Amino acid sequence: MAARAADDHAPLRFVLIPKTVHPWFDKVNTGAQAAADLLGKTTGRKVEIEYRAPETADVSSQNDIIERAIATHPDGLILDMLDEKGNHATMLEAVDEKVPMTVFDSLPPEGMDITAVGADFCEQGTIAAQRLAGLIGEKGEVAIMIGVPTAPNHTRRAECERAAFARYPQIRVVATGIDNDSIETAQKQASAIMQAHPDLAGWVACDAAGPVGIGQAIRESGRTGKVKEVGLDNLNDMIQLIRDGVADSSASSRPEMQGYWAVIAAWQRALGQKTPKYIDTGIDVLTKKNI
Amino acid sequence: MSLETTFPTTPPTPPRLPPLRRLAARCMSSPLGGVIAALVLIFGASCLLSPHFLTGFNMMIMARALAFIGLVTIGQSILMILGELDLSVGAIGGLAGITGGMLMVQAGLNPWLSLVLCLLLGTVCGMFNGVLITQLRLHSLVLTIGMAGVYGGAILVATKGVAITGVPVDISFLGRGLVYGVPVPFLILLACLGVVAFVMVRTPVGRYVYAIGSNPEAARMLGLRVDAIRIAAFATAGFLSALAGILMVARLGTAQPSIGDTWVLAPIAAAVIGGVATTGGLGSPVGAVLGAVIIGMIENIIVLFGISPYWQSVVSGGIVVLAISFDSLARRYLHREA
Repeated sequence: MAARAADDHAPLRFVLIPKTVHPWFDKVNTGAQAAADLLGKTTGRKVEIEYRAPETADVSSQNDIIERAIATHPDGLILDMLDEKGNHATMLEAVDEKVPMTVFDSLPPEGMDITAVGADFCEQGTIAAQRLAGLIGEKGEVAIMIGVPTAPNHTRRAECERAAFARYPQIRVVATGIDNDSIETAQKQASAIMQAHPDLAGWVACDAAGPVGIGQAIRESGRTGKVKEVGLDNLNDMIQLIRDGVADSSASSRPEMQGYWAVIAAWQRALGQKTPKYIDTGIDVLTKKNI
Repeated sequence: MSLETTFPTTPPTPPRLPPLRRLAARCMSSPLGGVIAALVLIFGASCLLSPHFLTGFNMMIMARALAFIGLVTIGQSILMILGELDLSVGAIGGLAGITGGMLMVQAGLNPWLSLVLCLLLGTVCGMFNGVLITQLRLHSLVLTIGMAGVYGGAILVATKGVAITGVPVDISFLGRGLVYGVPVPFLILLACLGVVAFVMVRTPVGRYVYAIGSNPEAARMLGLRVDAIRIAAFATAGFLSALAGILMVARLGTAQPSIGDTWVLAPIAAAVIGGVATTGGLGSPVGAVLGAVIIGMIENIIVLFGISPYWQSVVSGGIVVLAISFDSLARRYLHREA
């Protein structure tokens, strides 16, 4: 346990390291700060969250940030791992330096006693695909927008979306775009794909930026209502697209809740308490009625 | 009318500088003086401002992180001294790493043989760039932007974006190992830097590189094999990038398609900070690596000081500008004083 945790009066300091700088992780940070405030008020012992995001979603860059955070000997690390194997050696360094860890939005390497907070990526993709299938009457051409092809959570959602569509014999996946988690790229890709497939009935995406770009492309092409979209996550732009009727809905993980519970778990760890192996924060289906 | 020239009987005595300024002037008279002075200043400030900076663990992680970017920087600095640039060095490093992963995991090849083949691949990729640039008379900047797309695309084709896991532990020592507390990749960097610095300073080839960088046409008229030296420099940069790529695979234990993504601009910035002229003919790989040390130190202290991630680019960019300006301003000041 870190020295500060042993001192009953010193503030507890946790370092939150997401995959990269992204609005979705800002929401995680918001939830984390809320948990820290609550713990500080209820226990009388201040809890500090330091947010350290790599500029790019690259494992070696993230490992560098993790190592630098370990060097400051915080009371806990809260990580969204880019790749469990690629991050493994660095996480072992944290174990050697006796810095407790909690992970969110990802699963820890096998054999490490670490609490994971998050939702099931496959379930999220499956929910989106099944909802779209229902919206288009279980038949027609659909397209999938993959986020960053090297991001395991994006590729996992894509796999599960394909598997879900495969259960409907009259649905055909005719195109796959890659947006690299950029709204602008997603918009360009979606426009081109809709030009090439005029009978396209609907879209699903695998990242948070993709469905926003898809929605813009649908609106610009004047095909609102004709081409259905089920988005992903709850960025403000996504919610606006649902409000405007461009997108039907969004299968959203709960980033604020992930940050919140990750801090709770990290706090318990820092105080030497046992914590659950997995905390499932669930998935919301955001529609015009419930946003 | 006769013209009469008179000479002073005794040469003019240079003004005597105060001891501290004399020391500064002596430091700045060295080509590496500015970068070393900036490095010492940043190091000293970091030691004073963060209790976590001067610890064994932090020095170890800084040295290891420096190794990968440092190797690429050595290659890029040779090219810059030659008046060229290679923007595909990151992609070459990534391609070599991925190929290494595929050879070791999917083809089941001996890890050491795979490592040699990867280094060969990187050398061939660099050489290919050099051949295209010299034979087709293409601008290296433009060509290598295209080649970065080709090599980077090859990585995606080969992996479909998915990392190759199960890399044998036999080579993990190269990326994770320590020798008397010093990371092995850092020792490899020092060895490579030693060899390259020797070649650049002590051999005719090194002098030819500077000559070509200063004036390629004059070098050609002097009978230097300009194209051959250019191709060799690109091949060296490819080799060093591949070495960085395969060491990163050894470090991570997986072959990530994103390896090398961040190795494009940082080595160029490091070389410029270290005194390598973008126009060619000036600077040294040692200075470039010292520039990489400055960048690595800045990245380190940004996290240690708890600077917001949204301010990181502003802060690191600002310190880099200060480091470059420091050299220029100090030289101007000392020149004026003298």
